[in-house]
Amino acid sequence: MTTTTPPSDSGGAASDGAAFPIIATGLSKRYSEVLAVDSVDIKLPAGVVGGFVGPNGAGKTTTIQLLLGLVAPTGGSAKVLGESIEHPSRYMARVGALIEAPAFYPSLSGRRNLEVLTSLGRLNPARIDEVLAMVELSDRAKDRVKTYSLGMKQRLGVAAALLPDPELVILDEPTNGLDPAGIREMRAVMRGLADRGITVLVSSHLLREIEAICDHLLMIDHGRIVFEGPISGLLDAQRSGLIARPEHAKDLEPLAALAIAAGKQARVDDDVVRITADEDWAPELNRQAFAAGITLRGLEATRASLEEAFFAITEAEDPGGEAEDQH
Amino acid sequence: MWGAFLSETIKLRRRSMLLWGFGGGLFFPLLATIFTIERATKTLEFNPHGGVRVTIAALEQPTGLVHGVVDVSSLIGIVSLCLFAAAFAVEYSQGTLRNLLVREPRRSQLLTGKFLALVVFIAIVVIVAVGVSVAVAFILAPGKGISTAAWTSSTGISDLLHAVLHAFLAAAIYGLFGAALGVILRSPGVAIGVAVAWVIPIEAIIVGAIWSNGDRWLPGQLLDALAHHGNSNSSYLHALVVLVIYAVIVATGTLLLFNRRDA
Repeated sequence: MTTTTPPSDSGGAASDGAAFPIIATGLSKRYSEVLAVDSVDIKLPAGVVGGFVGPNGAGKTTTIQLLLGLVAPTGGSAKVLGESIEHPSRYMARVGALIEAPAFYPSLSGRRNLEVLTSLGRLNPARIDEVLAMVELSDRAKDRVKTYSLGMKQRLGVAAALLPDPELVILDEPTNGLDPAGIREMRAVMRGLADRGITVLVSSHLLREIEAICDHLLMIDHGRIVFEGPISGLLDAQRSGLIARPEHAKDLEPLAALAIAAGKQARVDDDVVRITADEDWAPELNRQAFAAGITLRGLEATRASLEEAFFAITEAEDPGGEAEDQH
Repeated sequence: MWGAFLSETIKLRRRSMLLWGFGGGLFFPLLATIFTIERATKTLEFNPHGGVRVTIAALEQPTGLVHGVVDVSSLIGIVSLCLFAAAFAVEYSQGTLRNLLVREPRRSQLLTGKFLALVVFIAIVVIVAVGVSVAVAFILAPGKGISTAAWTSSTGISDLLHAVLHAFLAAAIYGLFGAALGVILRSPGVAIGVAVAWVIPIEAIIVGAIWSNGDRWLPGQLLDALAHHGNSNSSYLHALVVLVIYAVIVATGTLLLFNRRDA
């Protein structure tokens, strides 16, 4: 499977920039022998929370650094908010970003660290209180950053990204180090940004996180984009299934045989039978089981998870390779 | 550039920067002033550990007020070298450079603004260091029977201002070399180590054992000549011109590297 919405150069740059805050065409980055980013095409629609997923080392951070003008591409081109990445000063004032682990001056307070950035970008200092409140760090703003937990530093990093009241926010692994409550708050912050019309691109190797908050997806593996499009489209395209649980264990094998006879794939898994079939076939299975004298204690439809979809795609792209573990 | 300048001033207010900057900048001139006055003799005396002790008559000259400060100008310069090297290298080693480039993508402006803020900081350090040394000299001089009349003459004031200017120029150029090392080496420890090793033992070895004429061309030797308003090796003008050429080359190279290298 390849990119579902290939970028196009047609239309004006300004309108493209408004409709698609990030457009990349054949974007590449080579470090001596290593091709970290390999001809990446991206067309991220405005107003979405875009998930950027892939294993560690797949090229997510390098792609983000390319988009932010921090590293120079060795091939291809890209536009952010309608401006070429060759001129980051033309668009970075409208972009907020958190790159890799949040880095701050440990002997300065959280507030002073943000003051460093507002002074540098000539931003409104009043934003400091607003963004500290957004990430719930107002109470600790005067404490030195070296006393912060990793989760607090992560939240301060997100606060720093929000300082310019950006049109586009790019967050690299923002939930790293956060506890479950912090992750939930971070999800709310990102959804809140999207609700205000701000486009968010969030990278993560935690696929469940991305599945929970994103509506658009970029999948990268070995430096190449292997999928781009709406997340619902990806999951719908994956094979769905049914899980049938007979009342008696002796009926497991007959139930699986019944499904196979109907042309479906089926296997016994512990005390259930897993059948590859659409949800629509569930009533028919129920009828056939009843006719065969099998009483079902439970019958539920399952949908492929993002994790399963990711492995299905990467294994299809690289049948001989082994996808990295995703947790 | 103004944003980068303002931003750097916030970082320079850190306790560690104030401690190292003012602590290092004040310590050597203060110590030199106290030693110079307290050990001054009525007649010329050779120090058993080498050199000669300053006479009271010499200290009563208009230049006597800043005698100690001028002697340790190179040490203020080395403090500046380390300060600049650390300030630039730490942005790489802490990973904060990326945050800065996100808010100020114009790299030349970022580098120049940061450098100018550090130059202003070191200027304040030099002024405070000289001011404290002068105050201590006025306090200690009567106890040693040293007349301070010439110190407050127009020639004395002029010599004081020249001493401040030369110490500042030397510190700023030392700082530029430190900034370049910080950008090139990207590690505060390595940058400071290389800087101090070059200025203290390596240049001395080169001049002493390899290139006897090196004291007219090596940067550390020239900066010493600049701080002393010329010395037996280099005239003030020679030192200033060669150092300005070095400074332009180093500044251009550093800007090019900073602009082109991936962050």
